[in-house]
Amino acid sequence: MPKALKLTFTLVGAAVLGMAALADSLPPDATYRPLPTLPLGQVRANDEAEKPLVAQRQQTLLQQRYDLSDRPIPDVMMSGLRKPVQGGVRVKLPAGVTWDSLADMSPDEIRQRGLLPAGFRPLPHVKQATGGQVFPNNEIDEIGRQEQRNLRRFDVDFDFPDRFTPEFPPPIFLTSHPELGDVSHGQLLTIKNYYQLMVGLITPVQMEGLRLLLTPFPQEEFNQTEDRKSADQSLGVTCLDCHANFHTNAAFHLTPDVRPQAARFRLDTVSLRGLFNQQLHGSKRSLRSVEDFTQFEQRTAYFNGDHVSAQRKGVHLPDRFDQVPMMAQMQNMIDFPPAPKLDPTGHLDPTKATAQELAGEQVFLGKGHCAQCHVPQTSFLDNNMHDLKLERFYDIGQTENGLVMLPDGPIKTFTLRGIKDSPPYMHDGRLLTLADTVEFFNLVLGLKLTQDEKDALVAYMLTL
Amino acid sequence: MIRLFAVTFLASLLVGPASGQQANPASPAPSNPGGMPAGTREQAPGVPAPHQTNDADRIFIHAAAIGGLAEVDAAKLAAKKGGRRVQEFAQRMIHDHAAANDRLSALATAESIPLPDRLDDEHSTMRDKLEQASGTQFDRTYIEGQITDHQKTAQLLEYEIGSGENADLKKLASDILPTVLDHLRMAQMINSESSQAAERAPR
Ligand code: HEC
Ligand code: HEC
Repeated sequence: MPKALKLTFTLVGAAVLGMAALADSLPPDATYRPLPTLPLGQVRANDEAEKPLVAQRQQTLLQQRYDLSDRPIPDVMMSGLRKPVQGGVRVKLPAGVTWDSLADMSPDEIRQRGLLPAGFRPLPHVKQATGGQVFPNNEIDEIGRQEQRNLRRFDVDFDFPDRFTPEFPPPIFLTSHPELGDVSHGQLLTIKNYYQLMVGLITPVQMEGLRLLLTPFPQEEFNQTEDRKSADQSLGVTCLDCHANFHTNAAFHLTPDVRPQAARFRLDTVSLRGLFNQQLHGSKRSLRSVEDFTQFEQRTAYFNGDHVSAQRKGVHLPDRFDQVPMMAQMQNMIDFPPAPKLDPTGHLDPTKATAQELAGEQVFLGKGHCAQCHVPQTSFLDNNMHDLKLERFYDIGQTENGLVMLPDGPIKTFTLRGIKDSPPYMHDGRLLTLADTVEFFNLVLGLKLTQDEKDALVAYMLTL
Repeated sequence: MIRLFAVTFLASLLVGPASGQQANPASPAPSNPGGMPAGTREQAPGVPAPHQTNDADRIFIHAAAIGGLAEVDAAKLAAKKGGRRVQEFAQRMIHDHAAANDRLSALATAESIPLPDRLDDEHSTMRDKLEQASGTQFDRTYIEGQITDHQKTAQLLEYEIGSGENADLKKLASDILPTVLDHLRMAQMINSESSQAAERAPR
């Protein structure tokens, strides 16, 4: 090595890898939200100019990962009969492999050869550096129409095509009135219509809880300060802006539970159906009651787990002794959609199910090991968190569209009741169809299912 | 020859496709214009012109350079004093970094950021400890220090990826993060193997 070069090496070049070391801690904005550095007008002009580029990057990523074409499963609709359920495996395979050849490889081999399909990896936010809540257009339009409240951001739009989101508006099923079926009358519940839709159906305390769930409160991107992403000063966001009709409209944001920003994974809004049977709440936080989660959602969904920023923008802290229980009790009245082929223990009734659905149930209970975590008797939950260790299959730490892909760690087992109604799937929405989830678990659990078994599993999950 | 290579490399680095302009999800994503300091020159609205740095960029490059100094320094010591596994690890540390080192110094020069040329207190203390230690105690001290340093580096790189504004620095950070995490995993493995071995050893 020439001397000059050696010197540079030791002095400056000095290995960046592996050693940096910060005698001092990282700056506060590694954990806390920084205050804005520019006037809103300039931020907005920049954001608007960048918006097409931002959208195009994300579309490129989605196109690389998924087949986004319109291929509904014939004759299968979501529970409200408002949208067909998309079928087929949508995650694209890397060149030169098939799903079967992939399933025959060891995790190590897949990792070393870089063969884990990109669609199985963590999904970035449209604009990771900014993050925040992003609503689908149907929600934005309907809230605009009914309430003249603006949920549109000037910096980003919703990324997935509409066909991969839940039907809108979703039906509402009440545990207190199973005989009625969907009580939404095809409408989106809002602060304008909730009373008229629900009087005579729910109790006074539920009604007050519902009102609070539909009342806008300041939020990180929708508020009155210069640090916002709505063009106009905003009254804020309501709980049911994301949990539309207590289900989900696939609005997403970034996990409030992780820092720094680049490592925060995306979160797809979960359905609140069947909340009464869930013992853990939140994919990571594992809060133990609906009351706790309801109270804390003001800190998390609204302000990314940053109570300091919330203080500046105006935070709503619902009163724990009265308001929170009312909000919780309303949420606990929301049922799963009916599953006429299931018996009271959560198993298929052989007189009603098809041969393929029954075969799928056998795979679910047996070779697929699915029922070990998705226990049929307890709403397909085990009230536990599991680490699926996906990082066995890919090299962690790669950055895609601003997201550093890291191990997911333990994540709560989600229910599979009404599962056909809630694409996209997984905590971050990285999978688009149930067939994708079957390929995912086939690989992750090393199941080596045959094509018939995979098809049967999908048919089975459509009955839940 | 080598100098020529360095110049070419530097040039390709600076005019290369790293400006976040293209729809290539592997290149740095758009940063948060809300996080740009006032007075930032823009090549397009919201896209900082090259050769500018914000606080995060400067903190990153400074800390990375200090860490770099300490790393090479400690690895050289470990390559002499360490046990077999530790020596291999230390060689790998020295070997793996050449390209990234060049990039860091090239970028620092291009952005006119002065780099530190001596260890900070934390690493001087570590250096003293390593000099005094020997045998398994040396191995343990070195590897434990490596684990801490790699953890900090990973957080530092993730911070730069999310908060920096200089596209080239952000790209550098995202390019080397997987290797840093790989090194961290190796160090953790050596650590757990040696603690198991210690448990098995007859007392
Ligand atoms: C960004 C849209 C959004 C808004 C607004 C929102 N949530 Fe959520 N909600 C989510 C997401 C995403 C999760 C999943 C969180 C996780 O996995 O950590 C969630 C989870 C929940 C859960 C836990 C469900 C479970 O069992 O895991 C409850 C309960 C809940 N929200 C209630 C509320 C209430 C009450 C409000 C209003 C105060 C609210 N949410 C506002 C997106 C939202
Ligand atoms: C070790 C426990 C475990 C087993 C076994 C398991 N799952 Fe899951 N399942 C989970 C967890 C945990 C999640 C959430 C993972 C995430 O979001 O990252 C999940 C998520 C899902 C989802 C997406 C749910 C949603 O709302 O997005 C589907 C569908 C699913 N599993 C189907 C299956 C099928 C089919 C099998 C069997 C082939 C199976 N699971 C086996 C734990 C398990």
